[in-house]
Amino acid sequence: MATALRSIPDAALGELRSICGEAFVLTDRSARFNRARVSTAFPVHRWADFVPDVVVLPATAAEVSDIVRLANAWSLPVVPRAGGTGISDGARPLRGGILVDIKRMDQILEVDLANRTATVQPGVNMRVLTDYLRPFGLIYPDQPGSYSQSLIGGRIGTNGWSMVGGRYGHPRDLVVSFEMVLPTGDIVRVGDGGGKSIRKSSSGYQLKHLFMGHQGTLGIATEATVEVVTRPECELPAYFAVEDWMAGYRVLGTIAHEGVATLSRVFLYDGWRLEYPLSEPLDFISPGQAVPCVGFALHGIEEEVRGAGKRLMRVLSQAGGRYLGDEVSRFEWASRYDRYIQPLHLGRARDGQVIPMYGHAQDAAIPYSELPTVRQKYEQIVRSLSERHEVFLFEETAVHPNGAFRAGGDYNMELRVGIWEQRLNDESWAAWVKAKRDLAIVAIEHGGSISNGHGTVCDGEVDVLPLELGHAFEVMKKIKRTLDPNNVMNPGKMGLDAAYESEFRDDDT
Amino acid sequence: MRGWLLADQITPEPTRVANGWVMRRDGVLEVDPELMRTYVRQQDMPRWDFERIVTARQDYLQSMETHMADRVLSGAEILQQVTREAADADR
Repeated sequence: MATALRSIPDAALGELRSICGEAFVLTDRSARFNRARVSTAFPVHRWADFVPDVVVLPATAAEVSDIVRLANAWSLPVVPRAGGTGISDGARPLRGGILVDIKRMDQILEVDLANRTATVQPGVNMRVLTDYLRPFGLIYPDQPGSYSQSLIGGRIGTNGWSMVGGRYGHPRDLVVSFEMVLPTGDIVRVGDGGGKSIRKSSSGYQLKHLFMGHQGTLGIATEATVEVVTRPECELPAYFAVEDWMAGYRVLGTIAHEGVATLSRVFLYDGWRLEYPLSEPLDFISPGQAVPCVGFALHGIEEEVRGAGKRLMRVLSQAGGRYLGDEVSRFEWASRYDRYIQPLHLGRARDGQVIPMYGHAQDAAIPYSELPTVRQKYEQIVRSLSERHEVFLFEETAVHPNGAFRAGGDYNMELRVGIWEQRLNDESWAAWVKAKRDLAIVAIEHGGSISNGHGTVCDGEVDVLPLELGHAFEVMKKIKRTLDPNNVMNPGKMGLDAAYESEFRDDDT
Repeated sequence: MRGWLLADQITPEPTRVANGWVMRRDGVLEVDPELMRTYVRQQDMPRWDFERIVTARQDYLQSMETHMADRVLSGAEILQQVTREAADADR
C-alpha cells in the first residue's frame, strides 16, 4: 500500500508546523489512514487512494486561516474533518493534501442566558454541550444518529437532520450564526443579518444558508452561536406494532396532522430488521414481534405531554395499533443513538452465518404521497443488488417527518443496507455506485431530494445532483469558482470541478 | 466486595428462545452461537464479564433516559386512561 507523501513539499510542512506547532502536524501512517474514510460505505479495497498527505489539528480560527492561505500559495487541497461520522463523503480526501481535523477546537466559549444562545468552537459535540447546559436547565436539541460522536462543525458542513427536529428544528434552524474561514483564508461571520444571536433578519442576503451544507467546499466553520432551549420536564416515548406497512403509513399521516406541538419525532419502521438482531434499536423487541412499528416521542411540560400522549395513543389504538409496552418503548428510545456505538452490524451470509456488516443509511426526502411507491422501488433496487452480490443485504426502510417544528408534508425515507466491506471488490463497488445512482433518480422522479441530511457527495448520487438542481447547479458552480478561485477547498466534490473547466469559464465571460 | 467464585468464571448456559436466538439472562437476546462459526467467532465469556457488559448497557440506557428530559412518563398508564375513558363513553 502506497503511503508516501504525494504532494507536500518539505517547506510547506515546515510552514504548517510553525502555524499549528510540531505536535499537531501528523504525517505518520496511522494518523493519515484513520482519516481516509468516514462512516459511509467505503471501498475498503482502495483505501490507499483516499489517504491525506498530512493531518493538521489547529486550535484557532487564525490558525485555520493561515493553513488555507498556505494551501493557496502551494496549490494544495484542503479537506476539513469533524467527527468523521458523516454518511456522505464530505471528509473523504480525493486528492491527498492537507486534512484539517478540528477536534482540538472543542471549547464552549460562552453561554448567554439572557439571549438563549451558546457560542462554541466547531469541535464541540452536541451531547457534551447538553451535559454542560444541564445546571442552567437548558439543552441543545440537535440529535442525529451520531449524537454522541459528531461535532457541531460537521453538522454545519452537512446541513444535517435531527431526530427531534419535528419539535426543535434542525442545524440550519438551531445554528443562529457561525464564523467561516473562506477558501481564500478570509474570515467572515454569517447568519441572519449581522448580530451573532439574531434569529431572523432582512438585512442583505441570508448567507448562513449558503454555507450551511458546504461539505468542505466553501471553507471551514470555526465558531458557532447556537440556540439553547428549556430542558423538557418529561418525555413520552411510545412504540406500537401495526398490521402492515400501509396501515403504518396511514396512521403516520394522521398523527402528523393532529397538530401536536410537543411531538419531537414520529416514525415508521417496516420490521424487516427484526428477522434477526443487528445491534441496533428495536433489538428489545423479542422475536415473534417482527412487524411494522410506529412510534412517537413527545417532549415538554408534563401537562402538555400527558394531554398529547392521550390523543396520539387514541389515534394509534383506533388504527389497530398494539402498544409494545413501557420497557420496549423506553429502552428503544434510549438506545436511539446506538448505531455509532456499535459500528458493525451482525448481517447474514447466504449460508445463514453471521457476517460483520457496515450499516448504511440512504436518506432521501420524499413527499408523503409518494412514499409507498418509492419504498417499493427502493426495496426492489436493493434486493436485486443483494441477489447479485452477497456483500449487500437489504435491512429495512424507516420513515420520519423531514421538516422542522411540525410533522407532515415531506418525509425522510431511510433505506438501510448492510455492506460486507471487507469483501468489496471493483465489481461489487461498481454495482453499489450504480444502485446509489438508481436510488437517487427514483427520489428525483418522485419529486423528492437525493438526501435530507447526509449530503450528496458519494459516488453515484453526485452524478445526478445536476438533475435534481437544474440550472441552480450552474449558479452553484459560479459561487464555488468565485469564492474558491484556486479550487483548494475539498476539490473533486459534488461535481464542482466542472466550475473550473474552460468551457464553463468561457460561458461565464 | 464479592470474592472469587467458581460460578462466576463459567459461561452461563444459553436457552434457545427462537430460531437464531438464545438467552443467557432474562431479557438479553443473543445470536445463536451456531450462527457464529464461520466468519465471526463467538467467544466464551465468564459470567462476571457477561454481567459487567449487561450492567454497563443498562446504566447507559438509564443515563440516556434522563439526558434530554427530567423524567419519562409511562405510556401504559396513559393508554389505560384512554381505554377507561373510551369505555366510560360507551356506557
